[in-house]
Amino acid sequence: MSRAMKDRLIWAVTFLVMLIICLPGLWVVLSAFRTNGEILTKPAVWIPQNLTLDNFRAIFGLGENVLAIPVGSYFLNSLVISVTSTVLAVMIGMSGGYAFARHRFPGKSGAFLWLMLSRTVPGIALSLPLFILWSWIGLIDTKLGVIVVYTAINVPFTVWLTEGFFRQVPRDLSEAAQIDGCTPWQAFWKVEFPLARSGIASAGIFAFLTSWNEYALASQLTRSTDSKTLPVGLMDFTAQFTIDWAGMCAMAVIIIIPALILTFLVQKHLIAGLTFGGVKG
Amino acid sequence: MTRLRRYARDHAVPLALLSPAVLVILLVVLLPLLFSFYTSFSNYRLIRPDSLWDWVGFRNYLRVLGDGDFWSAFGRTVLFLTVALNLEMLLGLGLALMVNRITWGQRTMRTIMMFPMMFSPILVGFQFKYLFNDTIGLVNNALQSLGLASEPIPFLVDRWLAFAAIAFAEIWMSTSIFAILILAGLFAMPKDPIEAARVDGCSNWQVFRHITLPFLMPFIYIAMTIRSLDVARAYDIVDVMTGGGPAGRTELLWTLIARTAYDDARMGRANAMAYFSILLSIFFTWFFFRKLMAARRHLGAF
Amino acid sequence: MAEVTLRKIVKNYGALEVVHGIDLDIAHNEFVVLVGPSGCGKSTTLRMIAGLEEVSGGEIAIGGRVVNTLPPRARNISMVFQNYALYPHMTVRENLGFSLKIAGRPPAEIEKATDEAAAILGLADYMDRTPGELSGGQRQRVAMGRAIVRHPDVFLFDEPLSNLDAKLRTQMRVEIKKLHQKVKTTIVYVTHDQVEAMTLADRIVIMKDGHIVQTGTPLEVFERPANTFVATFIGSPPMNLVDGVVAGGEVRFAGDASLPVPPAFRGRVQEGQRVTYGFRADNLMPAGHAMTGIGETADIDLTIALAEPLGAETILLSELAGVEIQGKMYNPRAVAAGERLSCLLALDHAHLFDAETGASLRT
Repeated sequence: MSRAMKDRLIWAVTFLVMLIICLPGLWVVLSAFRTNGEILTKPAVWIPQNLTLDNFRAIFGLGENVLAIPVGSYFLNSLVISVTSTVLAVMIGMSGGYAFARHRFPGKSGAFLWLMLSRTVPGIALSLPLFILWSWIGLIDTKLGVIVVYTAINVPFTVWLTEGFFRQVPRDLSEAAQIDGCTPWQAFWKVEFPLARSGIASAGIFAFLTSWNEYALASQLTRSTDSKTLPVGLMDFTAQFTIDWAGMCAMAVIIIIPALILTFLVQKHLIAGLTFGGVKG
Repeated sequence: MTRLRRYARDHAVPLALLSPAVLVILLVVLLPLLFSFYTSFSNYRLIRPDSLWDWVGFRNYLRVLGDGDFWSAFGRTVLFLTVALNLEMLLGLGLALMVNRITWGQRTMRTIMMFPMMFSPILVGFQFKYLFNDTIGLVNNALQSLGLASEPIPFLVDRWLAFAAIAFAEIWMSTSIFAILILAGLFAMPKDPIEAARVDGCSNWQVFRHITLPFLMPFIYIAMTIRSLDVARAYDIVDVMTGGGPAGRTELLWTLIARTAYDDARMGRANAMAYFSILLSIFFTWFFFRKLMAARRHLGAF
Repeated sequence: MAEVTLRKIVKNYGALEVVHGIDLDIAHNEFVVLVGPSGCGKSTTLRMIAGLEEVSGGEIAIGGRVVNTLPPRARNISMVFQNYALYPHMTVRENLGFSLKIAGRPPAEIEKATDEAAAILGLADYMDRTPGELSGGQRQRVAMGRAIVRHPDVFLFDEPLSNLDAKLRTQMRVEIKKLHQKVKTTIVYVTHDQVEAMTLADRIVIMKDGHIVQTGTPLEVFERPANTFVATFIGSPPMNLVDGVVAGGEVRFAGDASLPVPPAFRGRVQEGQRVTYGFRADNLMPAGHAMTGIGETADIDLTIALAEPLGAETILLSELAGVEIQGKMYNPRAVAAGERLSCLLALDHAHLFDAETGASLRT
């Protein structure tokens, strides 16, 4: 095979792969702007006749055909829960990651392993006892209940990522800062924190995405508009007798947009975060 | 006692720094798991709270072990994970090697590759439920419009087609983790050993087999470790795509636990099953973590 | 006034003791170099003075004030690290001014102090660069500048030149010496390089295995080494050491070779005592190539195994009683391997050590 042929083949395959990655998402986005009537038509209508914002108006309770599903509250719940649990997980995880990166103590590697193993417990398996315990202490169907759980499941990964980044910061720097007159606390915030910032940022993004996208636990621990998150809310559509495809697509768009923006903003850090933590032992 | 106090005094700072992390995990993971471990030895049903004290010993475990539905779900789960993880790894490797060869538009390609990573599993499930729907799905519509199929294909109803559809969704979602990490490995790879191998007379394939691949192994194992941390995300996909049905044909271990616990309200038995799922997850993570550590030591030679 | 006093300083990590009760008095404005092979406890000692390591036992005082429990920031010291430890996210100016900013000094004062330091070290042109944009020597200067801006009581240097190439190292050595003359502060300097120690120090402290082996001016430790370890560690090439037995005013070696007991040791050794005879290559030279006025000499015939011409002098490798020894030929001529030369040993610069303990028999 000639070189030019080979190059063309690679391009063709690449294009196909990119199509498979992009097409499903794009199709969902497109459908969010179509009417259910057009989606259900047989034989299929390929070129949309009239694009509309009605689906978005409906799920936010605007316009004529008001939907029974309070997506606005779900969105707010998701935001409050994700942001709060992310902030908590980053603070707790950073503190732990620093301890692992900078201090020596017996039982360290064992502690690290146990921390990571706690992350492997399947959400659904964890939801069983949490469902009962949270019911007993009144945390079921509250934002606080979900926040606490999300914080805990995000801590191990945050510890892992920040530990890798703190280890990249030479120990000398903190010592130099302390000789320059800093307290250990000042040395951390003025020297080590700024240098590990990109790692901490990527840990935060991962925590946010995990919380924002989580379903298995939330589906059991939330019941009402007080605490239901967007992924759980998406299932409201299927609970009805007929599936409102266009509405679901519109809601899917609402779920994916914040995650998308966030990821593109920090994609560079994300990759560095994942590899640093793991390879550079 | 004094030894413990001495340990606490000598390592006060790291212990203080670690304590919030330990505390929150103790409270939200370990304590509930101890409770569920107890529950798995009781006849606890959600609708009869006092049954929590109804100690039944190993009965739940024996029931689960003697349950054909459990074993078929368990087998299907292991099969599903094996197929999905292997294909994700191979496709991710192929994708990374491909993108690595492309010079024009590489950055755009990398960005697009990250796309599925930020999708909620529940969204991935919904997306493919929509695409594979037998009446209005894009796939069936396309096949029919192109005249490749006269009848709609029941992607989500047939036993093996549904399994394949779910696996496709899972692979679509997770291949990018492998591709991105392996690509990062390819970027970090030193050029000297490759050139040395070429001088020594290696063919392209031999260079890949003996130089590139060993260097990439740690990156592959990181991806595997990260992936195996939440293999149970597949629950979300299955729940929205088929709900484990029809008639339990796509039931995975996790959907079976959910059904037993919440629909049948048999908490005790569901918890017994949950322990099998936890062990499965720990096994996968531990396995790849060990491989990662070994590969990392090996990489030190580079 | 900032003299530094160490009293019975001990450091242990768990059961492992790495510094075993060190006593040391460092005078105000003195330049003291701690030197020794790696693992001898010199860096640990320095880090204890800095407050970066906890003191396990004993007492450290700076300027008469016991500082054992004070954190580094309260000791009014500054330190230059082996890897410079410059803050990579700050410019040179910010690096220099960081300590004053932390101390809450007014901006005008910070600016004045940083400009002053920059002028002393020739950094004025790089003030707005970050450390990543500097060469090794420039980084080294910034690290020193950061140390001098706050006018500390004591400067600590932890192997500051070990990451530089040979040429730059020589150059920076001169700069450090000049800096000490300019800023007149007590300096404690750690290195494993005996040349650095010799050239920089007012006083050298030689350490081994967590003990101080000898303290003295560079010339003292060179000319009157306390034991065979110092004799071989200080000076290049290392001192020649040959074991022998005292017999009738001579030291007899294996075979039939012998050398007279050096004048300084006469009356300090007994007949039949087992000793180690030590002399430097500088003091063993072929007859006719010797310097004048070298005092009492002994004749010794040597077969040359190898000659290493260095230009101004040639190092001669030979053998005495089965031990490889080195001599020096000044005003050299070509020497062939196997050539037999009659040589002179300057006995005033020869030493005797106890064969068992290695301690000098001078006292």
